[in-house]
Amino acid sequence: MSSHHHRPEDASGKRLADHSTHGIRREEIQRALEHAIHYLPSQGPIAIFVHHNTLHAFEHLPFEEAVVSGWNKYHSQPYLSEERFREEYANGRIIDADIDEVLKSDLGDNQSAPVVLDTNRFQLRRMMLGHVIRNGPDQELLWFTAETNALDQFRRDVPVQSDRNIVESVKQWLLRHASSPDHASSPIDQTIESIRYEVNRGPLDSWSHENWCQLSLRWLHRVCREGAGFVGEVRTDDVSVHRHRDVLLGTCQFDCDLRVLELLVRFLSSFTDQGFAQWTMPNRSLGIYKSFLELYEVQSFFTEPWKRELAEAIQEDKRAGRSAMDSIENSLDRLGVPAGQIDDFIESTLLALPGWSGMIWQLETNAEWTPRPAPSGALMELLAIRLLLDRASIANAIRELLPSDQRQWLSEHGFSIEKLSECLEFQERKHVRQSVEQRAFILFQVAQLLGWPPNALVDLRPDQWQKLMNEISDFGSLERRRLFQLAYERNYRTQLLDALASQSLKEPRPAEAISFQLVTCIDDREESLRRNLEEVVPQVETFGAAGFFSVPMYFRSSSDAHYIPLCPVVIKPQHFVDEIGTLSQQELQRRQAEARRVLGYASHRIHLGSRTLAAGIVTSLLGSLASLPMVARVLAPRLTSQFRSLVSRIMRPNQATMLLIERIDMQNNHQQSSLPTPKLNQGFTHEEMASMVQRLLGDIGLKRFSRLVIMLGHGSGSLNNPHESAYNCGACGGGRGGPNARAFALMANDYRVRRILEQRGMIIPESCIFVGGYHNTCNDHIEYFDIDRLPPSHQMEFLDAQAKLDEARQLNARERSRRFHSAPIDMSPAESLKHVEGRSEDLAQARPEYNHATNAACIVGRRDRTRGLFMDRRAFLTSYDPTTDSPDTPILMRILQAIIPVCSGISLEYYFSTVDNVGYGCGSKLPHNITSLLGVMEGAVSDLRTGLSQQMVEIHEPMRILFVIESTPQALLSIMARNPNIDGMIRKRWVQIAVLSPDSSDIQLFENGGFVPYSPTVNQMPRVPNSLAIYQYQRGHLPFANVTAS
Amino acid sequence: MIDFLGYLVIGCPILTLLVLSLTGLFQQPLPSIAVDRLTKTNVAIGLLASIGILIWMLWTGNRIRVLDLGNMVDINEEHLHFHLEFIFDRLSVPMILMSFVLIGVIGSFANIYLQADSGYHRFFLCFSVFLVGLIFAFLAGTIETLFVGWELVGLSSALLIAYFHERPAPVQNGLRVWAVYRVADAAFLAAAIAMHHQYGQGEFAKMTGSGVWPEGVSTLDPWTSFLFGILLLIAAAGKSGLIPFSGWLPRAMEGPTPSSAVFYGALSIHLGAYLLLRISPIFAESIMLRVIVVLLGASTAIVAAAISRVQTDVKSALAYSSVCQVGIIVMEIGFGWWYLALIHMIGHAFLRSLQLLRAPTLLRDYRSLENAIGGRLAHQPSPEISADAHSLSSRWYRFALERGYMDAMIDLYVVRPFCNLFHYFTRLEDRWMQFLSGETPVIREHYPTRGSNSVSDPVITASPGANRQ
Repeated sequence: MSSHHHRPEDASGKRLADHSTHGIRREEIQRALEHAIHYLPSQGPIAIFVHHNTLHAFEHLPFEEAVVSGWNKYHSQPYLSEERFREEYANGRIIDADIDEVLKSDLGDNQSAPVVLDTNRFQLRRMMLGHVIRNGPDQELLWFTAETNALDQFRRDVPVQSDRNIVESVKQWLLRHASSPDHASSPIDQTIESIRYEVNRGPLDSWSHENWCQLSLRWLHRVCREGAGFVGEVRTDDVSVHRHRDVLLGTCQFDCDLRVLELLVRFLSSFTDQGFAQWTMPNRSLGIYKSFLELYEVQSFFTEPWKRELAEAIQEDKRAGRSAMDSIENSLDRLGVPAGQIDDFIESTLLALPGWSGMIWQLETNAEWTPRPAPSGALMELLAIRLLLDRASIANAIRELLPSDQRQWLSEHGFSIEKLSECLEFQERKHVRQSVEQRAFILFQVAQLLGWPPNALVDLRPDQWQKLMNEISDFGSLERRRLFQLAYERNYRTQLLDALASQSLKEPRPAEAISFQLVTCIDDREESLRRNLEEVVPQVETFGAAGFFSVPMYFRSSSDAHYIPLCPVVIKPQHFVDEIGTLSQQELQRRQAEARRVLGYASHRIHLGSRTLAAGIVTSLLGSLASLPMVARVLAPRLTSQFRSLVSRIMRPNQATMLLIERIDMQNNHQQSSLPTPKLNQGFTHEEMASMVQRLLGDIGLKRFSRLVIMLGHGSGSLNNPHESAYNCGACGGGRGGPNARAFALMANDYRVRRILEQRGMIIPESCIFVGGYHNTCNDHIEYFDIDRLPPSHQMEFLDAQAKLDEARQLNARERSRRFHSAPIDMSPAESLKHVEGRSEDLAQARPEYNHATNAACIVGRRDRTRGLFMDRRAFLTSYDPTTDSPDTPILMRILQAIIPVCSGISLEYYFSTVDNVGYGCGSKLPHNITSLLGVMEGAVSDLRTGLSQQMVEIHEPMRILFVIESTPQALLSIMARNPNIDGMIRKRWVQIAVLSPDSSDIQLFENGGFVPYSPTVNQMPRVPNSLAIYQYQRGHLPFANVTAS
Repeated sequence: MIDFLGYLVIGCPILTLLVLSLTGLFQQPLPSIAVDRLTKTNVAIGLLASIGILIWMLWTGNRIRVLDLGNMVDINEEHLHFHLEFIFDRLSVPMILMSFVLIGVIGSFANIYLQADSGYHRFFLCFSVFLVGLIFAFLAGTIETLFVGWELVGLSSALLIAYFHERPAPVQNGLRVWAVYRVADAAFLAAAIAMHHQYGQGEFAKMTGSGVWPEGVSTLDPWTSFLFGILLLIAAAGKSGLIPFSGWLPRAMEGPTPSSAVFYGALSIHLGAYLLLRISPIFAESIMLRVIVVLLGASTAIVAAAISRVQTDVKSALAYSSVCQVGIIVMEIGFGWWYLALIHMIGHAFLRSLQLLRAPTLLRDYRSLENAIGGRLAHQPSPEISADAHSLSSRWYRFALERGYMDAMIDLYVVRPFCNLFHYFTRLEDRWMQFLSGETPVIREHYPTRGSNSVSDPVITASPGANRQ
């Protein structure tokens, strides 16, 4: 080796002579980091799961552009697959009218743009939507045309007239041509002659129809091949490569990320561990970067080669006393990232491990409630150590995989991506090119389907072939899927709007005729409970309101250790509310709490002990005893749980508790100072209570009070379900809404609150009593609060209402059970209730309930507009009375401000998790493994998985949610003008919106920037005696129908 | 009568396997209800039959029953025979009982858990292979019978680890576990061949003496004992995840929860310890062997206990706690406390299965514990360790975090030289072939990276005739 060469160095080793500091500006790195953060998943620790739009970062774009950006960024699908859409088309879920309509409106004025021959753009696209155009590798196509009857028979799905058109045209042309004098001289004639002899050597008039088909198709295929040859080269679609790893993977088939992933995941989960591991990471308080340096600085006999390179890089960082930012700067320098590419480089580096990067950011900024949030700057430190790891892994890969001459070359020219690509002759991945054979095959199919005869095509000029091919390519798979999605949505929209338009305007019931009133959450799962109750008691009135019932609070139950926020995530509660034992039982409860604490410590010791050495021996020797609960719980989950609750009830009789909702002066209350001293207000003042009551009742338009109003919050309880929180009430921020309902009822019953309300003009009659309750949507259990405080006058009424609700929840359980494949289809209501109770207690159950999986619409308006309509648990129902709202609709405005983000978040999270369950969702939940008490990973080591699992979305139909609002277009437009967020969601088509006129059944749909009248396609819904008549023996999604019972 | 029960114990799993594999082979998969009933019924019959045998043994005081099915293969000239023999004794019957209970519970768990999953039938097929393998292994009276069971267990385990074969990680980890198993198998096979060589047959009775377990007295001399013992110890170490093979167990957690629970957490992992128990009489002959067994068990237990303390995901933590307990069980065997080891093994299997089955409830369990205690469970770092990198605690933590460097060591000092050697041979062969054929070497292709499915069709440029052919 001649001496003027630089000594071979590597990317992680000593500074390269000609690559001294670039002087990359720190602000640039900082900015790149802030830019990258937008694209990280924003799901926090899994114990509080809040649904949100997976592509929130792209909300500034129109939906259809955003999904493509999502594809480019995350390589996750934008829509369902084309095959799936075609299945839906075959099943009648998408009908021809849907496709026609969406295609027409999509093309607008370009419908009749000519393509070739007499075909216009609409016809071409319509055909391509209706029929699949197949393609394959050249060899397959050659085989297909040579060995199958592709050139003997028309495709089976060719319309009769196309097929006839081609054959007749060829026949006539040939007969005419054969009789003309100058025949057998042109190349066409030679082609024809050769085909003719392949097909049948006999005279033309003796030919059968099959012969003519063969001739036509062979000729057509040759013409198409000829034509395909005129078409230009396929434009390559640049997939830019941002990371060294991609180059090495593409050339050496070596993935540097794998070993980095394993180490980094292990390190991060130990660093962020919220209390699972028994040993805390040493030096944790120094932050990610410093503790990483400390931990991995050491080299020993055991150290793998690439970790030696890591240790050297770390030692260098330590010697130079670099901060995380210095280290990033240095790493970027070493990796030869030029100034202009820092954004892309940092973003793709963080997105190489999106789940953990996102979690670190959440822990840094948004998780003050966790036991161990991350210090600020954590994400930057993560980036610093990630780059150190990448450098070590890349340097090691280069050292071990490349021959010495390439290493030499690299060390002279630097390790930038460009140089690495150049050195390894890496070609960026190009999109699949279409060969002539493939283009010919596409044209051949299109010509068959559209009935283009070869004798006409043969006259096309090259530019016409090019135009034709462009027309076909312009309507590629992505475009077709976009239109299918529109058609898919239109189908459901038409059904829903037709159903709503067909409802007659009902007169409100007189107040005396109302037996009781029920207020539930707007949740789609409560739709069936309300409908079933209305079927059981036609005199009942039901309302839907966001399930925190306008009572935002930090709540702590008598058996809970911590306060949890119970309100939508956008609101920060200002008040603490405690549940405590009633005065007479406080001593008892104190003793029980003590006993619980002792038991809790004991079981925690057992829990940990079973995993350790010495205590493990004892627990395992007694382990055979574990067989009893295990066998019992698996084989008879429901009975076991009943037995357990029986035992615990004997040991701990049900305690009377009370809510401390009233403002308490904290000075007098110091004996309770075991609580962390609340920073905010403890309890509400009467004024505050009155405002909350007034607001909720005003929102839902409840103004004629019956003697009993039941408020039901909701939540869900299930076992072996890390995503349990996702099944709870979205309006309670992933919490359970029972305490909100209870608090609301207490407030509304309070005479002092009522007095204030009276002054404000809202009169609740003395005879009216509120009762709070909690509906468990998984086992359909309903619990009522404070019923001991009911006045005697109302007890019978309450018991009566409770009996009716019991009946309704059994019916509800039966309606839900039809969806569960493991549930017999013909269960009685009582059996169904048992079934769902069993599900919620079953360790083996991967689908305790289906959560929002059937959500599709949200209806904002009076219940009378939808009462009696079977909506199959697919609609959020928000009560709103437009007749009580003032002209500038402040009530509607605040309702929409609350529900559009919540419902669209749910709808879009389901959308994305369904269209790409592996990319946007978290895949099958079967291999999930809880890590650091923060989230789930798959199997032994993987990134944190965000989004919804396959078992949660498997029955979901991915559609953008359709809001139907009982109001006027003017009111809506004015709200949109005042609220840019709502405006953006609507105009950028993240949600669909329609208004239902308050005094007629006219509907206007928001399309292309304005409201246009909707004309119903049918005006009569099927009528059925009760819901059962529709859903009995059915497993799938069901059409709308009118239920006469309610 | 008692033989009939014995045949039931062996026959029911085989019947399940036959039905599931034949229906699968002929593309006529049974509906899930039928699969459920089939497995439940057969496991229940097997369980009842083994209870019957237990009662018979207790009632009559008879402590051993041998079912001899004779030689399956017998080539006298070559001294090759395959002797199928099953033993019901104090060691095998409890293990069989435990297996049936666990397998039955897991079967009905999996039937719900895997409902509507695309791999449902595959799971139950592997499951029945596993059951047959387990029954064969536990009841084996000859080393070749044990080998059959041992192999079936290994095969089905590896396939179940790779259950989610759409993703690369499960397949890679399945392959790795399979490779570890092969090493164990090789040692096992060597022992079997040595035994046949020595005695011309493979009955354990030859090795462990004619007494009834655990009172057999080995007829081997210390050095032969030592040789057999070491070979079988290597086999057991591979199967039970003892040092240095412990790294495979957490990797086995790639499969669906029930299979992790029963197969690796509870049954597979004890197979090695069971083997040691089965041949326990030969330990009496060689003090050196016993010392090695005790040391291996103890070091495994200590290292695994340390590793399990730093695991942050529930399944790995449970995996290493299992290894820790198995280490202790091996130690007990080394000390000659065989009944204790047996009880320990069975108790541990049940406990771990339950813990693994309810692993996804961890968050809920922690919440209720916190609520009961009334505070955070997060261990405050006992004294905040802020040691520098070279301090003992930091190194010890790193050692545990890197899982004792076991996999790294194997990769670095075993796998890599091995692969390099064979790559070298490949290159030699290539060169030789080139020399013979005179052809140029094959050029490496560039494989596409992530997201190779294009979302949109290729676009055509507007330059007519550019690509005319």
